[in-house]
Amino acid sequence: MYGFYFDQTLCNGCKACQIACKDKHNNPLGVNWRRVVEYSGGSWQVEGDTARPSVFSYYTSMACNHCENPICVTVCPTTAMTQRADGTVYVDDSKCVGCRYCEWACPYSAPQFNAETGHMTKCDLCFDYRESGQAPACVDACPARALDWGPIDELRAKYGDQNAFEPLPDPSTTRPNLVIKPHRDAQPIGHGSGFIANRQEI
Amino acid sequence: MGVGFLEQDLRRRSFLKWSSAVAGSGALVGVGLSLTEMPGVGPQQAAAAGDGMADADRTVWSACVVNCGSRCPIRLQIKDGTVERVLPDNTGDDSLFNRQIRACVRGRNMRQRIYNPDRIKTPLKRRDGTERGAGQWDEISWDEAFDLFAEKLKYTIDTYGNEAVFKVYGSGVWNAHLGTSGGWARLFNLLGGYLGYYSNYSYSQIGTITRFHYGNPDEQISNSFEDSIQHGRMLVLWGNNPQETRMSGGGLVFTSLEAAKTAGLKIVVVDPRHSDSVSLLADEWIAPRPGTDAALVAGLVHHLVANNLHDQEFLDKYCIGFDEEHMPPGAPANASYRSYLEGKGPDGIEKTPEWASRITGVPTEVIKNFAFELATTKPVNIAQGWGPQRHANGENQARAIYLLSNVLGQVGIPGGGTGGREGYYWPLTQWFPDGENKVPVSISNFGWTDAIDHGPEMTATKDGIRGADRLNVGIKFMLEYGGNMFASQHAENLLTREILRDQSKCEFICVVDNQFTGSAELADLVLPDTTTAERWDLAPSEYTGDMAYLIMCEKAIEPLHDSRPAYEMVTEISKRFGVQQEFTEGRDLEGWARYLHEELNRKAVPGMPSFDDMLSLGVYRYANPEGTTVALKSFRDDPVANPLATPSGKIEIFSAELYEMSLTWEFPGGDKGDRVSALPEYIATWEGAEEAREPDAKYPIQLIGHHYKARTHSTYGNLTNLQEAHPQLVWVNQFDAADRGIADGDIVELFNDRGRVQIRAKVTPRIMPGVASLPQGAWMKVDAQGVDHGGSVNVLSRLHPAPVSKGNCQHTSLVQIKKV
Amino acid sequence: MNVAELPMILFTVIAQMCVGAFLVLGVVQTLGSLRFSAKAIDQVADPALLAIGPAMVFGLAVSMFHMHDVTNTFNVIRHAGSSWLSREILFGTGFAALGFLFAVVQLLKWGRPRLRQALAVLTALVGVGLVYSMSMIYYSLVTVPAWHSWFVPLQFFATTVILGSLAIGTAFVITTSVQARQVARGVTASAADSGRRVSLRQRFTTPADPAVRDEVEALLAVSVRGIVVTAFVASAALLVAIPLYLSGLTAIGGVALQSVEVYSGALFVARLGLLALGAGLLAVFTYFIAAKPRENLGRLVVVLTTSLVLVFIAEVLGRALFYESMFRVGV
Repeated sequence: MYGFYFDQTLCNGCKACQIACKDKHNNPLGVNWRRVVEYSGGSWQVEGDTARPSVFSYYTSMACNHCENPICVTVCPTTAMTQRADGTVYVDDSKCVGCRYCEWACPYSAPQFNAETGHMTKCDLCFDYRESGQAPACVDACPARALDWGPIDELRAKYGDQNAFEPLPDPSTTRPNLVIKPHRDAQPIGHGSGFIANRQEI
Repeated sequence: MGVGFLEQDLRRRSFLKWSSAVAGSGALVGVGLSLTEMPGVGPQQAAAAGDGMADADRTVWSACVVNCGSRCPIRLQIKDGTVERVLPDNTGDDSLFNRQIRACVRGRNMRQRIYNPDRIKTPLKRRDGTERGAGQWDEISWDEAFDLFAEKLKYTIDTYGNEAVFKVYGSGVWNAHLGTSGGWARLFNLLGGYLGYYSNYSYSQIGTITRFHYGNPDEQISNSFEDSIQHGRMLVLWGNNPQETRMSGGGLVFTSLEAAKTAGLKIVVVDPRHSDSVSLLADEWIAPRPGTDAALVAGLVHHLVANNLHDQEFLDKYCIGFDEEHMPPGAPANASYRSYLEGKGPDGIEKTPEWASRITGVPTEVIKNFAFELATTKPVNIAQGWGPQRHANGENQARAIYLLSNVLGQVGIPGGGTGGREGYYWPLTQWFPDGENKVPVSISNFGWTDAIDHGPEMTATKDGIRGADRLNVGIKFMLEYGGNMFASQHAENLLTREILRDQSKCEFICVVDNQFTGSAELADLVLPDTTTAERWDLAPSEYTGDMAYLIMCEKAIEPLHDSRPAYEMVTEISKRFGVQQEFTEGRDLEGWARYLHEELNRKAVPGMPSFDDMLSLGVYRYANPEGTTVALKSFRDDPVANPLATPSGKIEIFSAELYEMSLTWEFPGGDKGDRVSALPEYIATWEGAEEAREPDAKYPIQLIGHHYKARTHSTYGNLTNLQEAHPQLVWVNQFDAADRGIADGDIVELFNDRGRVQIRAKVTPRIMPGVASLPQGAWMKVDAQGVDHGGSVNVLSRLHPAPVSKGNCQHTSLVQIKKV
Repeated sequence: MNVAELPMILFTVIAQMCVGAFLVLGVVQTLGSLRFSAKAIDQVADPALLAIGPAMVFGLAVSMFHMHDVTNTFNVIRHAGSSWLSREILFGTGFAALGFLFAVVQLLKWGRPRLRQALAVLTALVGVGLVYSMSMIYYSLVTVPAWHSWFVPLQFFATTVILGSLAIGTAFVITTSVQARQVARGVTASAADSGRRVSLRQRFTTPADPAVRDEVEALLAVSVRGIVVTAFVASAALLVAIPLYLSGLTAIGGVALQSVEVYSGALFVARLGLLALGAGLLAVFTYFIAAKPRENLGRLVVVLTTSLVLVFIAEVLGRALFYESMFRVGV
């Protein structure tokens, strides 16, 4: 099974990953196979003439986590959303009816509806690049080298197995093949005091 | 070093003169050295021989050449004559001096720039009888265009003289050995020259004031990040945001992250905004109000001195002006910085941390703690960015931060710094020669609207005219090449455009660009340039720390529509003046590229591969042979043998020259803060933090405009993928928003006496109360009522220059905000 | 109002109404047979059966607009092993097919009554399966707190029962009203009695044999009263369940709070008000006037039709809010 590794301590939310993917697949506006979410929080203590901040902010880049228990596959009525032998999840365009049920289900917004084709589309961990010995486009794009990919057990051996940080959903739901190195201010799921600050962008 | 058009405006070149003062720190050298084990970095993470799409006809090396401070290679994959995909650099092994130069989010979107519907397709002439900006165009042939340009240029020179010809600042084609020049200045110089300008919009104040402090005619850089990593115990990013202002993956995004990972190197970021540098790099974040940095410095230094934590030895040996015992001859009494601190100077106010706290908004104990940390965590590199200096009192802000490093004695030592911007190794490769400008007169980068409006009234002591006592004539012939000064990038946009619309003042405006910008709207003649992908070029690194490089830009596709590279345009124009041979020296654009590379670059840089080899190699890296940059090291080692180019040869905290200027320079407007000061004292200015906080202030919000990931200034601003990824939003503090009933995502109006902007709000804790930020560079969209809906911050900024530099003060601006 | 989901709003409400109508019809048939003759029951019930089919087909047709690529439509049943959507489509087409079959055999009186009854039971079960799978489509989305709730099946079945009852009630009284008008015109049952083949229209509009006329009236009274009581009770249960549901969501917090916010404002008030009016106040009134159906036929038609329309609108509004309340956890 393949997955992604993402280092929150390095990401400044630039979205080079999002654009590299978009450029590769010529995805139109509204279709983003990788998205970056900003999670911020905190406040200021204003006393007299002074203001002291206690603020945090960090970014998380998310494509498709090619989950072990992919809810998108479970709910798809046509079997268009399906898994390859290598465990990665992809959309079989010849079957999809664009009912968008997978879009309702996925807590990572991985399935993206393409209004031009009427079908769902999604990150497939750059199947074509992998076949030709290349890394996924987003991994090679990141100016901060915040992304990595590979067999999930190798990623876990190398980076650990944490991924339960706000604003991500509970990983026990779909069991994403994702390893995250948390930002210094990263908050565990369920104990978040912040908010998603760029909702319109994801 | 070659003489270039940049002689006047880009004093960065003169930095090479100071390379003797810059020396390495140790045995560290060259390629292949890896410092710390950085996550996500290493040979296995460096992109392998990624070839991208399987069925490309060709993959060529090119570059993104915008004003981002770095410059990145991009590989363009071409199929059937069309660029189908952009790939990043795949060379290097990601060790510190052989790091991959991964293009940022903007360069990755290059195809949307090349194939944008806003591409100018053919030469356009403003229809006879219509007003500038009316939007009525006639398509004309290139021959007609060249004829018109030449006719107007000749007329201007004959009627008004060369001083009436001006090429305004534009950085849309930036730091490319051929493209940045385009040949325009070379042509003008062959015809007798043109009115020049000094300094630039990036760092006007610090760029002009530094010679009074350190003797450097440009900015004075500090030690590099690489040096801090190796030898420093503390790094202060003062109004400095490498994560958002130097976004190349081969530049400071990379090295600043490396610094953050270095154990034992504490990083403090000073910024009114919780920038992404705060998020990723800062161990501590201090937030002062915009424009109050000099006050913060004074409070810090007061605390240091009060506790005897300052480096008196350094001050005695290397500086003048800190205390009464070390003043230059003829200086008035009680004019030293120490007297200023202790309240013995003219204002009689003691600059205690409490005093500083009231002005800056930083709590007193934070100031005291910070001072203590600075004194006890040495060596410390105080590296200011260009934010503090881009204010109405920016000269003093910049010098104050310099001063802080002087008081701490950190200049010229490994791990230390000068207080200037983080240092870098300047590339050695050569520029297209523009020749010598015989017109000695220059204005500041910011002064062109004044020069159009009332040029002959501008003088040396009132308006900063250099090379003459006054201007003889205003600007009559205006060329904008790859810039957007007439729309969103100058100041007080609406007034600026009014000045430009007056045909009796500036009589001819030509805009050369590849996208039809708001600036092109006001032109009399619009000429379609190509993008980098459609021509030859060589692109060097810029501010990328101690690793320099050169990128090959092979022409990837034929020019789209009827566009032509600027060099070819100027070649044709030169024919009309009979100077074609002198202009081209018999070379076409590719010829010049080969000439510069084979004849000059290969001599300048040891090991530089041949031009033809570079076509396949793409990038050639070379590092500072002396290791990492330690600025002013030789001065520190031996100040007698290596004096600074100041009158005293030392660091001038009190500058006699500035003192003279304070007596002779005129500020007829009498705006608050418009004065020259010999010391880097805090000056409260028009529309500064104090004015914002006056009771019943009409415009109580300080508006700044940070650099934004969506664009590089205004370049890339019309690309929809980037607008989607990073929509234009004004950052508003949550308390200020709550007071006004503004929720996140609401459309709000920012307004002052100069204009109105309506844009969506980002309500966030990531900015100080009382401060808002509208990212600069957004393209204007002004409706019939004069309200801008594009979110251009310069609709609101003031067309009033800083006192010494006569530069742009775009971060000094007050507004009110309301829900729409 | 989320007009993008209009196909789903209409389909789910209409389909649930059809299933409900079929179930209520079945109950009337079954319970009615204990007291009343088959002839009386058929007189009242058969015409109603006709209305369900077209409504169901309309609902299915509307649902097709929810897809964005109908060329791949036949694939939608491939994943019945795990997808509630596949299952719902199977149940839905099954219900429509069986319902159509039952309508044909019932109206043409083909096969023995026991056989037809078995078919009816099967169709009813498939209908229940349809409503259940519909609710499970939403309930199974653990990532949407507002939908992963006991409330969703409860709401769907409530819609089924309330709208189904009122639809049948309305059908009954309208049929009877039409038949009564025929009587006023002097049409008798002679044509049917003579055994001549008559059109369905004639058959349904012809009034009952005078012999069973009293029976029919009694049946009508009992069934209409039973219907409005059912609608009333189901609505009351729903109106109690709604605040419990919303406070439950509030307790969950997070994105569930955004879902709760949707249930506010004019549309929500209208949704509650129209339901209370149609299945509450008007139902009570109907209960009383249904004691003497022949006397109050005109009023019954007006009141029941009004109830049906008001409650249909209420349910459509409720469904619209349901889709708008979709907030998913995560990013």
